[in-house]
Amino acid sequence: MKTVFEIASAVQNGTLTAREAVLESLCKIKELNPQINAFVEVWPEEALKRAEDIDARREKGEKLGPLAGVPVGIKDNILYKGHKATCCSKMLENYVAPYNATVVEKLLLADAVIVGRTNMDEFAMGSSNQTSVYGPAHNPVDFDRVPGGSSGGSAAAVAAGMVPAALGTDTGGSVRQPASFCGIVGVKPGYGRISRYGVVAFSSGADQIGVLTADVKSAALMLEVLCGRDTNDSTSLEDAVPAFSQRFTSDIKGLKVGMPKGFLDDLGEEVKEKILAAADKLKSLGAELVEVDVPHAKYSAACYYIITSAEASSNLARFDGIRYGYSAPNAKDLNDQYELNRAPFGLEVKKRIIIGSTALRAENYKACYLQAVKVRELIKRDFAEAFKKVDVILTPTSPTTAFTLGAHKDNPMAVYLADLYTCQGNIGGLAGISVPCGNDKQGLPVGLQFYGPILQEEKILNAAYHFEKAL
Amino acid sequence: MILEKDNAARCARMAKVRLSAEEEALYEDQMKELFDWVEQLSSVDTSSVEETAALRAAYLRPDQPITDESLAQTLVSQFNAQQDHCVKVKKVL
Repeated sequence: MKTVFEIASAVQNGTLTAREAVLESLCKIKELNPQINAFVEVWPEEALKRAEDIDARREKGEKLGPLAGVPVGIKDNILYKGHKATCCSKMLENYVAPYNATVVEKLLLADAVIVGRTNMDEFAMGSSNQTSVYGPAHNPVDFDRVPGGSSGGSAAAVAAGMVPAALGTDTGGSVRQPASFCGIVGVKPGYGRISRYGVVAFSSGADQIGVLTADVKSAALMLEVLCGRDTNDSTSLEDAVPAFSQRFTSDIKGLKVGMPKGFLDDLGEEVKEKILAAADKLKSLGAELVEVDVPHAKYSAACYYIITSAEASSNLARFDGIRYGYSAPNAKDLNDQYELNRAPFGLEVKKRIIIGSTALRAENYKACYLQAVKVRELIKRDFAEAFKKVDVILTPTSPTTAFTLGAHKDNPMAVYLADLYTCQGNIGGLAGISVPCGNDKQGLPVGLQFYGPILQEEKILNAAYHFEKAL
Repeated sequence: MILEKDNAARCARMAKVRLSAEEEALYEDQMKELFDWVEQLSSVDTSSVEETAALRAAYLRPDQPITDESLAQTLVSQFNAQQDHCVKVKKVL
């Protein structure tokens, strides 16, 4: 499939119709989705109608938007008016979005065509897309392996060529890790860059919308469309959004790339080898490798699981069967009502609600929740200091390549620990991008991650763009 | 040492989540392991961090009430039961 850039340019100049682009996407979905399960619902008639409207406008001489005719998948926790948004949970199986998320409005304004909603871990809690009520999504590189998560459906859809771009959400790496597992590009801008209005909240202090594409230039164009101030999101930043796709430099000579001290210590040999080779490649392109110290970053995953579970226990309280969600018909009393109404939540979601409310209880609050947010502050300071010395920081995206379906079923801690490299970005509020850097001996993709300071997304996009070109 | 005094079943009851016996047994080990792991945070010196600064995760704009009546009606229409533009709840006492 063509890239976002290629499709939009071709539709704008009339060498391709939006209908042709959407039809190609729908055919690919029909062919591959039964095996991959990337989409949980597709809207073919509506997508084709919208594509025809775009073509008709072009024929009338109207100037089309920057994503003209580009088929896009959206994660199942993003609201698209009149369409189901279930967070891949039984709890919301009949929920229909009453309004558009800001990102959906922006996609439509840019003349993109939303073709369906993509599979995900239930309420975005998971790193393998195995907790979805619709069943797991499969990795297009190897169907017996997970695509990563929680935006596993979005990553699989792009990697399989079903769509050139998809939206995901990233609370602890849920865009970047599946991008790494599927061999595509996944980017999460800094906290506050993209409005979360109309996205079902999991952890309000960490949730961010991100994009998954086949190449860096397309990711830059998507970000350009989606970033920006929105008064409907109280954390949305006012700062101007650069034309990211026009900001690539001719080379990266003199770019200072930070290598965190000790960050490769516990890494498996194959991933380590690829990351070191990537560092060498950057050096050969003229970048300067600089060791940086982020001593508290190793606590990121522990902070992450306390803070995000605490916020989840609060955010998911709205699914009480009265405002939203399942309402049990035969409750005996109020306690019974609360407990029975939550029965449709899956195991991982229930566990995080329990962890979060335990961390917030008066007797645990100081030692658990408050200590975690204080350590978060130290992690932010570490990164702020590091970015005084370097332009971007390089890490692996994930310590492993895609694992087989069902692996780690009895060992969730192994999966939590694997979030270490990605959740630093959410805890630190940083911008992060995962870009493919080769395959392991089994042919599975390895992802390289660049971190950059908030409001300087162009730095990570530029580094990733030049690395991608050189690979 | 949160789960030494507080087993998973009690935590679940406090969180208003009902667990089956199997789920209780599964969570007991998993949650103990998680809270033991999180215990590493207690060794970090956070004396330089002010409590209020740590809790302020981001800049927040002032609250602005939404006055669009039609949106309110659309939202209420999603609730399980409603009456006169209000959410209808069951009698619980």
